[in-house]
Amino acid sequence: MLTKLWTYLKDFISGMDYVHREKAAGITQWEEKELENIFILLLTGSFSGIPAPPAFVAAELLPLLSREIKIFNQRAENSFDTLAEMTGLLDID
Amino acid sequence: MKTVFFTGKGGVGKSTLSAAAAWQIAQKGYRVLAVSFDPAHNLGDIFETKLTHRKKRFKDGLYLQEVDLEKAASEYVKASMNLMKEVYGYLQSFNMDSYFSILKYSPGIDEYAALTALEKILAKEGTNFDYIIFDTPPTGLTLHIFALPGVTLAWLDRLIKLRKEILAKRFTIHNIQGKYAPEGVLLSYKETDDNVIKKLYELRARYSRVQEFLQGKDNQVVLVFNPDVLSLKESQRLLFGLEDLKLPFSIGFNNKVTGMSAETVKNIENELRKKFPSLKIQRILYSDNNLTAGYKLEEDIISPLLKGV
Amino acid sequence: MTTIIVVLGIVVYFVLYKTYGKKLETEVVKADNSIETPAARMYDGVDYVPAKAPVLFGHHFASIAGAAPIIGPVLAMAWGWVPALLWVWFGNIFIGAVHDYLALMASVRYDGKSIQFVASDLITKRTGVLFYWLVFFLLILVIAAFGAVLGGMFVGTPEIPSAYIMKIIAALILGVLMYRVKMNFTLATVIGIILLALAIWLGSILPITASKNTWYVIMFFYIIIASAIPVNVLLQPRDYLNSWLLYFGLIIGAIAALFSFHGFTAPAFTSFAPIVSGGKATPYWPAIVLIIACGSLSGFHSLVGSGTTSKQLEKESDGLAIGYGAMLTEGFLSTLVVISVAGFGLNLMVDKGMDITTANWATTYTGAMMKSYPKAAMFTASYAQMVASTWLNFIPTKIVQIIAGMWVASFAMTTLDTTNRLGRYTFSEIMLPLKSNHEGAYNFLTNRWIASIIPALIGIYLAWSGNFTILWPSFGTANQLIASIALLTGSAWVAKRQKSTSKFALIPAYLLWITVTAAILWFSIVVLPGSIKANPVTGITVLVIEVIMLIMNFVFIIDFIKHKDEAVA
Repeated sequence: MLTKLWTYLKDFISGMDYVHREKAAGITQWEEKELENIFILLLTGSFSGIPAPPAFVAAELLPLLSREIKIFNQRAENSFDTLAEMTGLLDID
Repeated sequence: MKTVFFTGKGGVGKSTLSAAAAWQIAQKGYRVLAVSFDPAHNLGDIFETKLTHRKKRFKDGLYLQEVDLEKAASEYVKASMNLMKEVYGYLQSFNMDSYFSILKYSPGIDEYAALTALEKILAKEGTNFDYIIFDTPPTGLTLHIFALPGVTLAWLDRLIKLRKEILAKRFTIHNIQGKYAPEGVLLSYKETDDNVIKKLYELRARYSRVQEFLQGKDNQVVLVFNPDVLSLKESQRLLFGLEDLKLPFSIGFNNKVTGMSAETVKNIENELRKKFPSLKIQRILYSDNNLTAGYKLEEDIISPLLKGV
Repeated sequence: MTTIIVVLGIVVYFVLYKTYGKKLETEVVKADNSIETPAARMYDGVDYVPAKAPVLFGHHFASIAGAAPIIGPVLAMAWGWVPALLWVWFGNIFIGAVHDYLALMASVRYDGKSIQFVASDLITKRTGVLFYWLVFFLLILVIAAFGAVLGGMFVGTPEIPSAYIMKIIAALILGVLMYRVKMNFTLATVIGIILLALAIWLGSILPITASKNTWYVIMFFYIIIASAIPVNVLLQPRDYLNSWLLYFGLIIGAIAALFSFHGFTAPAFTSFAPIVSGGKATPYWPAIVLIIACGSLSGFHSLVGSGTTSKQLEKESDGLAIGYGAMLTEGFLSTLVVISVAGFGLNLMVDKGMDITTANWATTYTGAMMKSYPKAAMFTASYAQMVASTWLNFIPTKIVQIIAGMWVASFAMTTLDTTNRLGRYTFSEIMLPLKSNHEGAYNFLTNRWIASIIPALIGIYLAWSGNFTILWPSFGTANQLIASIALLTGSAWVAKRQKSTSKFALIPAYLLWITVTAAILWFSIVVLPGSIKANPVTGITVLVIEVIMLIMNFVFIIDFIKHKDEAVA
């Protein structure tokens, strides 16, 4: 019984720890994702009509950027639906 | 290894003069490679031999090469497509095939293909030859090719800065949330671990090298012009462009002077000297002899070149 | 009495969570763990990442908790503590938490898309656009309401602005430690908390006195600057410190309430329509929804839940604890507020010379409170008294008061500049239709600085010139309009997609819509004219906002009724 309580307490504290770390770096995480999004956008701009670096730079780098491309696609899909996401992130109330 | 680029409006006699220069330098005992980027492919005609993408020995110490830009461009596109398919076959990001086949026509491919070919030649043939003489495509394309390293470097610098920011943020996140990172997600946060930034640095080094070489003392850009107003205008454009790009030029060949009034010739030259006082101008007569001599031009056009370089 | 109510509150919430909540889960939402949540199904290690329930709870709760659950109940004490508690308990259980829960689960079933998206899908596209407008107005009114609270607080308790400034410095230092020096997290946290304590102590001995107007000006510039600098510099470390304040405040408050054994001096029930807003008799129905928002019902929460929380839900059965449970917990927070004011408020006001008794409470409370311990001060003072009446009285009362004040001030100040960040975005979304025909105007208005200044300017101006008892309910109108739209959307989802017993959602939803509409109408017709007379610019600004929102509200309900029965493809 006591050990169960102890494990529960430990889980609770590690959970709290996690929540705190989430809080402390949550927005940074979001920013980082957006930077990766921007990176891909800049790189592949010529593929979508915006001024961009010469296409061959993109061709050289794209094979190394699969995670960023995934983010890019995900973001493109959800880009119109960001109001709710930002309210949570910005801790308005 | 030293390089000389012959530039000028189409039809002024670039190819002939560059061929002549190559011949004359080779006569002096140097090892010379003459390369033509001009889509008009005059080099082979001048030396009366069929030339290809690969260098061909004309005689000891003189090699000739015609760079096929179209071929280079399509090779590049094919290679990129294959690379993409290899890595992204499982990702339904882009519709590879239809997308990339259009790359052939995208702006910049010609320039890039030329630059890549130039890079390759500079890298490969440095030890094989003492002089590489280049015949360039018409002015616009030439300036774009010369500008490309600088433009690319500007973009690379921006991308590097952005990537560094990304890595810095990843490091912060790792520092704070590291032990709770979702499974299977390994984000590089150190420059030594990030393939993307390493690649960016590699690209920057490559283009820096080309840029430095082109702007350096082992390179020269030579202007060929005719004593007429159109040629003058184009030449000014070219020289301004070279100035902007900080490419070294000091010699101008006033070609096909024969038959033109002495006054016109002098006026054109003075106009040029007004804006570019350091330009040393040498006149080349245009006679029946020249026409048939082709590359075996009698006039010495290389002494200023050899001295100046 | 305090003890009894605390325990009763916990029991009520708990029992109804297990019964009514469970019923919602099984019959309405039909939570089914065999259906994969978006976090599992669309896992991308980036946005869609499942989080363990307790962790997600903590995260979600921290996002919805703030200063509003504290201020509302203080005002609502005008009706007596029973009506206040009734709304905080049962309004929360049967409407507010249901709203949060349905918004969350609808989003989960929609691949984690926001409630705004769900509304535009289930009702009409127009409804989705409505959200931008309502959120924008909400942001302006929040700045106005919280600005007014802060203005009063900074003047009334000069130790607090000073402590807050020290806290900003502490946050800046913490930011450098965590994000630039990249110090070990636990160590940085400890340092941060020490700095926070230091800030509170320094604040208590070095108060800063300034006039209200000075504070408003400072607040305006603070908003502009704080919302323009990178988040790592101030926002993130400051929010992090705030969450520690929240824990301490909650825990100390709960313990104090539990062990106080103090009787309630405030009346249980005063009148159906005491004087609350703008000096007018304020009917419990429909106005209570405007007075107590967060803590019982808050439209904002539907956005928060369907923003990131829904993308991180590990399994569907977690939804009840997180969506429904977190709101109940916030209700518990409001319960503590009611308890502390009910227990200690009367004596505090009398000691300050107010002529208030349980008999004349209905007509005198609001005025007396605003004069003696305006808004948040009533909470911090009675909170401090409550703590002092227990074994926790080894903590100096002044310090407890500053802690409580800092709790409110920190969250309120945070709201000011994060609201501005969001305001920029919603403003440019609203202006989008201008883009095609009036590009010049569009570019000017959506310029970063202009888009930043407009909401801040309007908000602070309202705060400065307006009457708090009018500004606070107006914030409630925007918030609860969003809530009624979200709840109706949730019930549309239940009816169309779930095809389950929709009456649990639909009936409260309609009732809520009627209540909110009636409240806004009452507010505009009865209260605002007085405000317009007192200060025309302020009054008319608020009136214009209310009218626009009302029109949108009616457009919405017509759209809703037209489309709610359409078969879903």
